[in-house]
Amino acid sequence: MHEQTSDLVVGLLVLLLGLVGLVMASGALDDAMYVFGLSLLGFAVVFDLGLVKRYFDRIDAAKAGSHV
Amino acid sequence: MSDAVMGAAMPAARPVSRAAVTYNMDVVRKFTIAAMFWAVVAFLVGVVIAAQLAFPIMNLGLEWTAFGRLRPVHTSAAIFAFGGSALFATSFYIVQRTCHARLFGGEALHNFIFWGYQFFIVMAALSYVMGFSQGQEYAEPEWHLDIFLTIIWVAYGVAFIGTLFLRQEPHIYVANWFFMAFIITVAVLHLGNNVALPASFFEAKSYSVYSGVQNALVQWWYGHNAVGFFLTAAFLGMMYYFIPKQAGRPVYSYRLSVVHFWSLIFMYIWAGPHHLHYTALPDWAQTLGMVFSIILWMPSWGGMINGLMTLSGAWDKLRTDPGLRFSVTAVGFYGMSTFEGPMMSIKEVNGLAHYTDWVVGHVHSGALGWVAFISFGAIYYLVPILWKRAGLYSNRLVAWHYWIATLGIVLYITSMWVAGIMQGLMWRAYDKLGFLQYSFAESVNAMHPYYVIRMLGGVMFLLGALMMVFNLIMTVRSASTAVQPARETAVAGA
Amino acid sequence: MFVKHETIEKNAVLLAVLTTLTIAIGGIVELVPLFTIETTVEKVEGVRPYSPLELAGRDIYVREGCYTCHSQQIRALKDEVERYGHYSLAAESMYDRPFQWGSKRNGPDLARVGGKYSNDWHYAHLANPQSMVPESLMPRYAFLANREVDPARVARHLRANKTVGTPYTEEQVANVAADLAAQADVNAEPDALAKRYPKAVQVQGDGRRVTEMDALVAYLQVLGTMVDFTNPANEKLQQ
Repeated sequence: MHEQTSDLVVGLLVLLLGLVGLVMASGALDDAMYVFGLSLLGFAVVFDLGLVKRYFDRIDAAKAGSHV
Repeated sequence: MSDAVMGAAMPAARPVSRAAVTYNMDVVRKFTIAAMFWAVVAFLVGVVIAAQLAFPIMNLGLEWTAFGRLRPVHTSAAIFAFGGSALFATSFYIVQRTCHARLFGGEALHNFIFWGYQFFIVMAALSYVMGFSQGQEYAEPEWHLDIFLTIIWVAYGVAFIGTLFLRQEPHIYVANWFFMAFIITVAVLHLGNNVALPASFFEAKSYSVYSGVQNALVQWWYGHNAVGFFLTAAFLGMMYYFIPKQAGRPVYSYRLSVVHFWSLIFMYIWAGPHHLHYTALPDWAQTLGMVFSIILWMPSWGGMINGLMTLSGAWDKLRTDPGLRFSVTAVGFYGMSTFEGPMMSIKEVNGLAHYTDWVVGHVHSGALGWVAFISFGAIYYLVPILWKRAGLYSNRLVAWHYWIATLGIVLYITSMWVAGIMQGLMWRAYDKLGFLQYSFAESVNAMHPYYVIRMLGGVMFLLGALMMVFNLIMTVRSASTAVQPARETAVAGA
Repeated sequence: MFVKHETIEKNAVLLAVLTTLTIAIGGIVELVPLFTIETTVEKVEGVRPYSPLELAGRDIYVREGCYTCHSQQIRALKDEVERYGHYSLAAESMYDRPFQWGSKRNGPDLARVGGKYSNDWHYAHLANPQSMVPESLMPRYAFLANREVDPARVARHLRANKTVGTPYTEEQVANVAADLAAQADVNAEPDALAKRYPKAVQVQGDGRRVTEMDALVAYLQVLGTMVDFTNPANEKLQQ
């Protein structure tokens, strides 16, 4: 349960950061901001996909737990 | 009372009747790997920029590889990437073990701290190389990266301090005082120094709200306490856990740790103006900075004495535990550079040393001798535990690392002493007729051999780190270090 | 005292609060007076905000990390004053955001480099430092000559400086593009520029495009020249 709260709060925060990154990249006036904005978006997508993966991994582990 | 407190001051003593806690060691492992990776990067870039000063052709004629852009990559990689990752790893390890509690906040938060911090480092380094910088030492990242780092830092504070609240020990262990002071103070410094107005939300360019002399003092309030809290207080936290662990002895003096903790964090904050002697900074501020810098010698040596004396009765372990050799030598270098620092903050000495390579040598005796060595000691201790191995792959290789790195430091700091003092003396030398004896270019020319020696010292330090990486990888991978619970035959001595 | 310390180390909140207070004292005592005491920056005749081209040049100086090898702060020491000129006054960097006093001299101090060398020397030196000073360790900055300065960007930067407190006038803000072009063209009419930015040095641009090299040279040429030290009113300055 604790892990799920953490997933939710952090996941939403990172989602928000990714959106900010997208906005920054879209209006970027220099290379650094363009690269940073896009990278932040990429970071957010990969990170949140990782959260989803770990969520299912936990469920799988709980299912398999009785066999191990 | 004293017994109870000494018990708390000794992480080894732990009642057995506790509920089992599953620590989050995954994040500690990740930060340990990151620390070693960034160590190699930082040392490598250091060697490159040292080579550029010896042989300007090494600037390669490219804008991205010029000294001015790579130097912040080196300092940030050394302090924030290597030092920072080592601190995250050890502080997360120590706070869980000494509080007997799982790291607060859930794995998502810990992963965010890890990957977010790595993302920050890569973005910062990339931005310097591309030509974006705030132009203040150790605070080069532009405003957007500063904000991103603030978010990571708050997450770090939540995880660390949250764990303190979960602790099953009544006392907060002394290492954690230092880590908490580090987290709080670095937050204050970072926010205080980076108040800047972006030219636009879409532009990686900002202007500080401080200008000129005020900017200078705020910057060195930040800059010197980056040394004081990032590179000193936090690594003292490391010392207070790993040296007692490695030596198998409690901390020498609990009282000394109390006194030197509070006096250290109180006095460090004042010392910044010693970076600005004889400048346009008002005299009262210079004098204040100098006085506190000199007094700071005392609490600094309090920490050194506490670290070294913890070994009393266990000095023989230096022969058998090469990891401990790193930790103890680190404390020795800490003592040396915290003597040299106050001396250099005396105005008359500073008049000679400032702007010269003496300062560079001083910084590296602290950064290589203290920060890197105490981290190496901790990581050599941690890796077999974190990866559940019987021991290190090769203790002989650790010994080789120790000697090659120590020799590298000696070459580095002695060449910089000579270079720095020579520079200072050449700049102020007069001939018989009362004219300045040397042009600036002549002083540059005279530095060449010392810059070559310094570069070789750096190469040796880098080689040592590569040996360490190899040793650690083999420790994790090799069959020879696997734990063999069934048999009790001792093979470690072989 | 140590009995009391037990209560501190058993209470994370108390420990955090006391730590924060302890580290706050020194910072407050040193920093606050520096902003409130008026004598920190004594008023000096002649110091003005940077012209658009100088500001662009300054931003290039910052971005390239010139401060990692060059100081801009002549200390009040005999040999420094003889080598570089009058020691630096606080007022001379009062519009510097960030300050670039530096902490290491791999190359010489630049606080008063303005006017010491010709424009031609600077162009040649930046493109290939060893051609002018064989001992030099400086990297080559020839690429600056191929990069154009964007007037819109400079205008944004100038406005940002004004917002944080640099006293640019509305007239100065309105004429960024004109001043930029005028300073980077030796054949341009200098009067309007000189009126808005006294002592601004015109550099040898071709009048068609303004390069980053022009900007950096314009900045270097104004360094340390704003205050007239032959003026007796400035001679008595004690900092």
